[in-house]
Amino acid sequence: MTNYLIKKMVSLAAVLFLVSLTVFSVLFVLPGDPAQIILGINASPETLAALRVRLGLDQPFWAQYGSWIGSLLQGTGGHSITYDMAVFELIGSRLAVTGPLALMAMAIAVVLALPLGVFAARHQNRPADAAVMAGTQLGLAVPEFWLGILLMLLFSVHWGIFSAGGFPGWDEDVWGSLKALFLPALALGLIRTAILTRLTRSSMLEVLREDYVRTARAKGLKERTVVYGHALKNALIPVLTIFGLQMGQLLAGAIIIENVFSLPGLGRLVFQAIGQRDLPVVREVVLFMAAAIVVVNFLVDLSYAAVDPRIRLDGQ
Amino acid sequence: MKNALRSLFLILSLVLVSSAFSQAPVKGGTLTVCQPAEPPGLDPTTHTAAAIDRVVYANIYEGLVKVDSGGGFLPGLANGWNISADGLVYTFNLRKGVRFHNGEAFDAAVAKWNLERAALPENGNPHPEYFNGIETIETPDSHTLTIRLKSVDALFIAHMAEGDAVMRPMKGDADAKSNPIGTGPFKFVKWVRGDRVEMARFDGYWNPFLPYLDRVVFRFISDPAAQIAALKAGDIDVIGSVAAPESAMMLEKDRRFKVYAGTTTGEVIMSTNNQAAPFDNRLVRQAMAHAIDRQAVIDLVMFGYGTPIGSHWSPSTPYYEDLTGRFPYNPDKARALLKEAGYPNGFKATIKLPAIYSYSRRAGEVIADMLTKVGIDLTIEIIEWGQWIDRIFKKKEYQLTMIGHVEAWDIGIYAKPDYYFQYDSQAFRDAYAKALKAPDEAAKAKWFGRCQEIIADDAVNGFLFSAPSLPVMKANVMGWWENYPTIALDCTAVWWKQ
Repeated sequence: MTNYLIKKMVSLAAVLFLVSLTVFSVLFVLPGDPAQIILGINASPETLAALRVRLGLDQPFWAQYGSWIGSLLQGTGGHSITYDMAVFELIGSRLAVTGPLALMAMAIAVVLALPLGVFAARHQNRPADAAVMAGTQLGLAVPEFWLGILLMLLFSVHWGIFSAGGFPGWDEDVWGSLKALFLPALALGLIRTAILTRLTRSSMLEVLREDYVRTARAKGLKERTVVYGHALKNALIPVLTIFGLQMGQLLAGAIIIENVFSLPGLGRLVFQAIGQRDLPVVREVVLFMAAAIVVVNFLVDLSYAAVDPRIRLDGQ
Repeated sequence: MKNALRSLFLILSLVLVSSAFSQAPVKGGTLTVCQPAEPPGLDPTTHTAAAIDRVVYANIYEGLVKVDSGGGFLPGLANGWNISADGLVYTFNLRKGVRFHNGEAFDAAVAKWNLERAALPENGNPHPEYFNGIETIETPDSHTLTIRLKSVDALFIAHMAEGDAVMRPMKGDADAKSNPIGTGPFKFVKWVRGDRVEMARFDGYWNPFLPYLDRVVFRFISDPAAQIAALKAGDIDVIGSVAAPESAMMLEKDRRFKVYAGTTTGEVIMSTNNQAAPFDNRLVRQAMAHAIDRQAVIDLVMFGYGTPIGSHWSPSTPYYEDLTGRFPYNPDKARALLKEAGYPNGFKATIKLPAIYSYSRRAGEVIADMLTKVGIDLTIEIIEWGQWIDRIFKKKEYQLTMIGHVEAWDIGIYAKPDYYFQYDSQAFRDAYAKALKAPDEAAKAKWFGRCQEIIADDAVNGFLFSAPSLPVMKANVMGWWENYPTIALDCTAVWWKQ
């Protein structure tokens, strides 16, 4: 286990180093002078030059990269040009929206997808199965932003149950904030339900044909115990993999849904920051996203062992 | 004196009309305004982003001069001003009893400090040239400011009314980007980054009758469909400017809301590289001007909202001349001019459209279609904003592009041969220099008019339309500006009808 952890830490560090170098280089060669984008096209040349010096844009590549890595290692990080606050602090406040949003979306997806997938598998090739499959097909085909707007029109404009986007903030209104996250989480969750349902179904179908399931049935165990106690647990490994990937993606920011619902999450932050060339924000958020995906995958690896005791992480 | 009498008469008649036909403004209430782009900081003196001015200008911050809803100049923090006969000395009489939101007094010393720091590029003002024509600033007493200019500047008052010239306190000003302190009718409460800016009535405002509202909240919603949904759901009260004109048309039919189709300072133009063949040929540019049906562009791109223009000047800016008749829509004339220019069979060219502006992409398509009819075959290329800045604005690697220029009084860009239009005309530079040195109103009107005519005749760019203001609001929001003659969403005199 210790070996495994050390290996993981080393690979995390390597990934972060490569990502930092890539994101820095990409932003460095990106067309468009950041100072000009920040100050607008009619800004005077003197002010542009002064801003370039202030942002360190007049320094060579390695000097700029070095001073950035230095600030990260010291734990201070950069300072957002547009928001006038520390990027770490900014990421923290955005994570307080994106984190719960991702959890809620995945919770909705899992709660719906597992029973639906099992149900479809047990009724394979019957009308019920076809109905579930048609529903998931629809879920896969519908774009996120469209579903988001549809939900908004129904729940906010038509019925007036939820507000149409925005986020009051946890410190101000916990219940209101939860409510504000519900519709976007539903939009994200429903689409992931479709993915996970199909996966659960096909995985269950495979497992239900295994010998040990037949044995369990032959022993006279109740169907519920066979399906949920024996089969589902083994069918979960591929589902967990996709769950992890989806979770990582959501933590990295649901850019489109956050834009539709005007949520102050990570995705909208990085989207805005690229447009405004708030380079310290773009760099550190991308780095954070990479780290989040690596960490979530690590947790998924750990969960394999919990689901299937035959899997040993240290390879013994 | 004549002016004073006229304004007195105007005020009296306004009071009479308003008391006879409508309810007097009521105090109280919260107004939630949707502004699509979140401002990059809240300091209008270190950034040109229009989003900043829309939130803070006239609400939190004020300058010596204010722009009124008709585009004229009103006393702001100055009660009034006198200009010496030679046009070089401006004497401002400052309002007494003005305080900043943090309690500091506003006086001549503060005004002097603000103007002097704005002139230094290292303080980050994007337009130090507005201020470095000032030779000396004297403060004969605590509420008189005497400014001597190095030379006559016809736009000095216009610049004093811009967001770049707002007054900030000398103390407690360090974090103006995130905690703005001004003299305006509303004081800053908080900025929930990514969501909203909140402000509340400033009880110490110098005008005891204003503002009417208790609170103003600016919410940042970028998605056009989400803006409309939020308005219909009752989450917001006003959309400062509707992004999709087709939804304005829809809302106009809904009795719960009202839509204003006023003017703005912005001109949407098909920018043309005057040094790139074949557009270096004046006849080719004039042919294109004849080939574009402006009203059809407005109908197709803006669903009929917008005003045709014939030069780089918006109808809401003083000294406007209507030059739309110079090149009326006439494809035959266009073909004849192309033939005269040596292109009897037309030519191929490329138009580069910035992806972030939907009006630009739509207008590009419409115009490409119109130009096909006279033999000009346009290839459309969509590019990212950073690329636009780099390739078009800086390196001038383009033939045609499409963009809205939002700043008022910006015709001076045609006097710079290295500006991205690459227009080089001594006649224009002379006329513009005369306009800037114009000693009186008549001369200003004459020479600013001449400037508009010269670039219209040279068909420097495809002058298309002045962007509409298009605010949409609940029917009982009163006092919202119909026209936007300056970049601001001024809530000072907005009130809720009961």
